[in-house]
Amino acid sequence: MSFDTNITLPDPATGRAVYRQHARDWLAANLPEHMLADSLNWRAPTLDESIDWEAAMHKAGLAGMTWPVQYGGHGLTLREHLAVNKEVGALMMPESVSSIGKELAGPIIMAVGTEEQKSTFLPRILAMQDMWCQGFSEPEAGSDLARLRTRAVQEGDSWRINGQKIWTSGAAKAQYCFLLTRTGTVADKHRGMVMFAVPMNTPGIRVAPIRSIDDKESFAEVFFDNVVVPDSARLGAPDEGWSAAIRVLSIERATNRMYRPWRVEAELTFLIRACKSDPALAGLLSGSHARSRIGAAQAEIDGLKGLIESAVDQMVAGAPIGARGSLSKLYWSETHQSLVALALDMLGGVGPKSSPLARRAHDYFNNAYLFARAETIYAGASEVQRDIIAQRILNLPTELQA
Amino acid sequence: MNAADDLNPEDFAEAAGAAISDAQGKADVAAVLAEAGLFSVSVPEHAGGMGLALDYSIPVARVAGEKQLRFPLVEQILLARAFAGYEIGAALMSGATIGTIAWQGALDLGFASHATFAGQASVMLVADGDGAALVDLSSVTLTLEDPLDPEFPQGEALLDGATVTARLDAAAWSALKAEARILLTAYVIGAAQGALNRTATYMGTRVQFGRPLSAKQAVRHHLAQMKLLTDVSAAALRRATLPDEFGQSRGADSAFVGAVANATFVVEKAIQLHGGIGFTWELPLHRSLRDVKRIALAMQAGAAAQALGAACIDAA
Repeated sequence: MSFDTNITLPDPATGRAVYRQHARDWLAANLPEHMLADSLNWRAPTLDESIDWEAAMHKAGLAGMTWPVQYGGHGLTLREHLAVNKEVGALMMPESVSSIGKELAGPIIMAVGTEEQKSTFLPRILAMQDMWCQGFSEPEAGSDLARLRTRAVQEGDSWRINGQKIWTSGAAKAQYCFLLTRTGTVADKHRGMVMFAVPMNTPGIRVAPIRSIDDKESFAEVFFDNVVVPDSARLGAPDEGWSAAIRVLSIERATNRMYRPWRVEAELTFLIRACKSDPALAGLLSGSHARSRIGAAQAEIDGLKGLIESAVDQMVAGAPIGARGSLSKLYWSETHQSLVALALDMLGGVGPKSSPLARRAHDYFNNAYLFARAETIYAGASEVQRDIIAQRILNLPTELQA
Repeated sequence: MNAADDLNPEDFAEAAGAAISDAQGKADVAAVLAEAGLFSVSVPEHAGGMGLALDYSIPVARVAGEKQLRFPLVEQILLARAFAGYEIGAALMSGATIGTIAWQGALDLGFASHATFAGQASVMLVADGDGAALVDLSSVTLTLEDPLDPEFPQGEALLDGATVTARLDAAAWSALKAEARILLTAYVIGAAQGALNRTATYMGTRVQFGRPLSAKQAVRHHLAQMKLLTDVSAAALRRATLPDEFGQSRGADSAFVGAVANATFVVEKAIQLHGGIGFTWELPLHRSLRDVKRIALAMQAGAAAQALGAACIDAA
């Protein structure tokens, strides 16, 4: 694969549409057809192909839009970030293989890292030289991170880490883990939390993949057995780094993967095209039931677009985003589950004599349906998001008011 | 200087709310609302209005839904805009004449129905061929029997011998219907917002088992979902009124379909969470339910969802 990366990025100040048009044109000219899930030539990209593709996207100004230029970013605003996301979403291209690095590790390092850490780690994330995994959840600490047990003990200029993480996405391929530990005991609750950037090839780290519902091994258990890292691997001061990370994650929840409504819309289009391509399925599309459900799905997609665009306008205007990320996280995950369930229903009649596109869609949506189970669980389950909305947005009392 | 340079549409929400609260206690509702400028906000300046875009009437419609105004405010705004520059337009804008719109039926079909708050109106717009006709209600027999809302029924009428006082051509009627989608979407969002606010307040003060009901996770999660869906509807409507990056305008059809579905969920759940008092006539929550369902039925929200689906299918 080769990509056109010798380009001059347009100046967004020259017009509202200029950056979106740039993203649209570059993707149309460079995205390999086999990476499009709605193409009959689709095949799963290898990890190396994905890395090369995402590195090219970055060079073309389609990743790291809001990161500072000095750290490899493009120094633009959330408006350009959103414009790119709309075009990325409109194509059925693969999910990033480095989303943890770009969406979580990078912003946290930006917020709490030393200058040396920022200069070292951030450009390598965007250049796809390093992938990261997130070492937060533990068997006894899912949503309630105050219960985490992984312990870090300072020994002179280094730290000794013992414990276990779980549900660690991408651990097998990651070069680094941003790892949450504690210096004391569980009784300390949120006190004494320390974050580290730990190279995954450090002696004492063992990754045990977990087979997931979609028959993949996309996450893992990670064991830390007397893992020793230098103090320079610490991200932020004890406690300070952790509280800053929570703030960053709250913002990131509102800004990550803004392409989602446009991708769900592309999936809906894929479903309709697949039905149209097959005489046995095409009849479904003239029925009032299918039309109602497709219309309702489009209304949900447009609502999700509205939520995201409103959030961007607020943030660009300097307004605090607060807990609003919980609204979009909750809504996209449930909207997407609803869409892939609709697709599964409509494609139930696909068989050996169905059209090639219908068969492609059948494969895609079966897998998407299974994977979508995860979407209302990871990054804060729907129940957690509803708790946040009740507490932080609606301010509902739990005790009698004076 | 363009007035819009200094104004934000949301600036109208507070003033509209105060005027609506004031009007609800008065005999001549129309006069109070007209005095506050609610009918003239988006009427062109040359016709005596404030000359602002329809966007500025959106918060007015939303607040009317939130405050359960029993008056055909959306219809009055639409008619005042559609007949701007004519004598009837001035009468509508001043509140001297009250108008309603029959959302179903047609003059050439001989009937009109789903005319909102028709009992207060003296003129009614009804489809006629490709356009629409303004009918003098004194020339027809208006029937006010509505099982959905016996207190403030929608009107229906047979139109034989109806006196037509003004007409809209096809373009004007089409434009009015598109604007109606936007303002009625705002109205149902307001109805949902009002129901949510009342329910959140009540759940926070209604004590059972020694704690407010809002301490219960089942209740908190319902309220969170109600908040989510209300915000989604508002965001969808906002988006529908803004052009995209390429300057293309977006229709409000999906915002309307979504808002009706979401508001139905919110208001039904509001009644559920109130318990027995929610089912009473005494608590006016039922008015919001009637408002949302009235609009859903009048504007045929189910058919609108199907049409939206059909448009997606055609475009794919």
